Amino acid sequence: MSVISRPWNRLSLAGKIILPLLLLLVLLTVGLFVGWQIGLIPGVLDIGAQLINANIDIVRFLLAATAILLVTIPVAFVIIFMEMKVIAFLASRIGPNRTGPWGTLSSVFHGFKVLAKEDFTPTGADAPVFTLAPIVTYLASVMALLVIPFAPGLVGLDMNIGLLYFFAVSGLTVVGLMMGGWSSFNKYSLLGGLRAAAQIISYELPLLLAPVGVIMLAGTLSLNQIVLNQSGWFWDWYVFQQPLAFIIFFIAATAEGNRTPFDLTEADSEIVAGFATEYSGMRFGFFFFAEYVNVFILSALSVVLFFGGWNAPIDPRPILDLLNVSINPAIDLAGMGIWLLWGLVIGVPLLIVLLALPIWMLKSSWSFLTSLIVAFVLFNVIAVGVIGIWMFLSFEVVVGLFWFLAKTFTFVFIFVWMRGTLPRVRIDQLMGFAWKWMVEIALLNIFVTAGAILLIQELSRR
Amino acid sequence: MSALNRIPGWGMAMGMVHTFVRFLQPKVTVQYPEEIQEISPHHRGRLILLYDEAGNLKCETCFQCAMACPIEVIDMGGVDTKNRFHMHWGPPEQYAERREESALRRSGRPVPDRSFTAWLPIDLGPLEEILVAHDYDPRRLISILEQTQAEYGHLPVAALQHISHATGAWYSEIYGIASSFPNLAFEPGRVAEIGLCPCANCSLLGGGRIRDALVAALATDVGGVAPDGSVRFVATECGGDSRDEPLVTLDGQPQPGMTADKARELAESLRAAAARPGRA
Repeated sequence: MSVISRPWNRLSLAGKIILPLLLLLVLLTVGLFVGWQIGLIPGVLDIGAQLINANIDIVRFLLAATAILLVTIPVAFVIIFMEMKVIAFLASRIGPNRTGPWGTLSSVFHGFKVLAKEDFTPTGADAPVFTLAPIVTYLASVMALLVIPFAPGLVGLDMNIGLLYFFAVSGLTVVGLMMGGWSSFNKYSLLGGLRAAAQIISYELPLLLAPVGVIMLAGTLSLNQIVLNQSGWFWDWYVFQQPLAFIIFFIAATAEGNRTPFDLTEADSEIVAGFATEYSGMRFGFFFFAEYVNVFILSALSVVLFFGGWNAPIDPRPILDLLNVSINPAIDLAGMGIWLLWGLVIGVPLLIVLLALPIWMLKSSWSFLTSLIVAFVLFNVIAVGVIGIWMFLSFEVVVGLFWFLAKTFTFVFIFVWMRGTLPRVRIDQLMGFAWKWMVEIALLNIFVTAGAILLIQELSRR
Repeated sequence: MSALNRIPGWGMAMGMVHTFVRFLQPKVTVQYPEEIQEISPHHRGRLILLYDEAGNLKCETCFQCAMACPIEVIDMGGVDTKNRFHMHWGPPEQYAERREESALRRSGRPVPDRSFTAWLPIDLGPLEEILVAHDYDPRRLISILEQTQAEYGHLPVAALQHISHATGAWYSEIYGIASSFPNLAFEPGRVAEIGLCPCANCSLLGGGRIRDALVAALATDVGGVAPDGSVRFVATECGGDSRDEPLVTLDGQPQPGMTADKARELAESLRAAAARPGRA
């Protein structure tokens, strides 16, 4: 064996990684070539394609679920970072600024930290339930995201009962919290779980009743259709027809997402951390992951129901027609032929050098290499910007996604802003507010909306 | 505001506005290891008293720290055997002298030994005249002290001692009277302050002529100090209250019936009073 082990031991660490990868690449290439030649791979691909075609709905669902599951991770990290940075800014501080540019990687490192912590199960805990609780909480949030329309055509599952599905699934969050509180074998956890359940169930009512007005106006439960109904200018959004419903919905969503001023489920500065008292490591992390995903989901739902979803606030087409301007940024890449290749090979380095020259001349303290690197970064930024603008102008999906994310993150910002400003309410005030005010006002809103709809129908019939 | 406060959620909205303004404002954080804040050279950190192993105070009340302290925050006090609180560090006039000295030292100027100059002999001629006019009567001490102040500009220790000797009044009695009247001072160099309202109304009512006279007499314009440092010439605000004469103040007190000539006389008398008569 020394024939292999001696040269292997002489390799550096990088070599020990790269050499097996090279071997793997060679084997894969040979295998693929041979497989293609004897007709094995085309056959397998054919069978695969037939299978996919036969079960297209299942495949689509699995793909959408996977995509949504993956999307929640960066979204949660961005919101955690926003939370740290925005609250710091609201308090005249700078906030995280050590890891990554402007501290952007700090939430990622928080994630690593949580992963590295000991995952501890207390003695006497109901271990399976204790382990399942964060998963249930997290999955309830993720599954609810499935019906949110992100952009025209970009919706995980366009159900005709989308809103009902959303509330049904996101209501499962409370089951996870109760599981966590019960299985911890700790009276504080149990009390915290019960408190969380009481709060969330109380606010579920106004949260469900508030959009009923919107449903009556839209005549559908499909979130995609509700967004389509709001297309046009921003005054077509439902918030201008249902302002009261929006206010109730927003307050209830704040309580539903356990956000300040209603974050009594884990009021970290006042009471024991509620249902999460006995949790540590990534299981604890999943609860908070779920909370931040919940913030995103509730913001997204507010946007979808009341702020036009992915519709732009203004309709640029009449203005462009009026100005007699037509933008057609379609680029015929195939028609450019060899010039595309030349442009990529020569044009890009030439542009970088052209960018580097003025930097080098203006900044005498920098070497040409430094200014070249800066110019490279600058070129990338400009190129990404140009491509972004081109995509914005060319693809409806990109425009829709842009507006949807812009509106959603505005709401996320408002949630964070509220957390940075408002003090917590007392538990009896919280419950009293839900039962004595919110439910009644939501019901009133339903009756008034119904009356108005009947009145308009009656008037239009005459 | 009270009407707005009745709107539910108004206070919350105002709080949100407040934090949003903070959001946009520059931040107060100092990135410590990279960025070191400007600290005054006088800063000595937190002052603590040290104890020895046995738990006894190491301080021996030598007052060297109080003497060396550039900003004069160190002081020592305690209770005596009858549980009366009193400072260990000298009487108030010595405080004032120390303070003055410290100010000079901080500004980098040479420090005269005030505790010595306060005891310097003075020309007792004018004081003797005042005492003769008052018939060496210790019951007229206030008048004697006021005239001495007017004559010497302040109350030198030598003058107080001479008054005590000549009238038979106790030094502590004289000291008590002198320290309880705000217009009597133990230190020279009390800067008088002449204020003049620069508003258009006062200028039209003759303020311009008064200003010219004061500029000539004080050799400085509004906002400046006379060359000998005796009088500060500042702008005041009549607030539109001047009806028929311009507002002129002396140490913040309005001086009614002021004309250009009177203003010149006032300024000259103030400068003459500060010219340390009776000193070599």
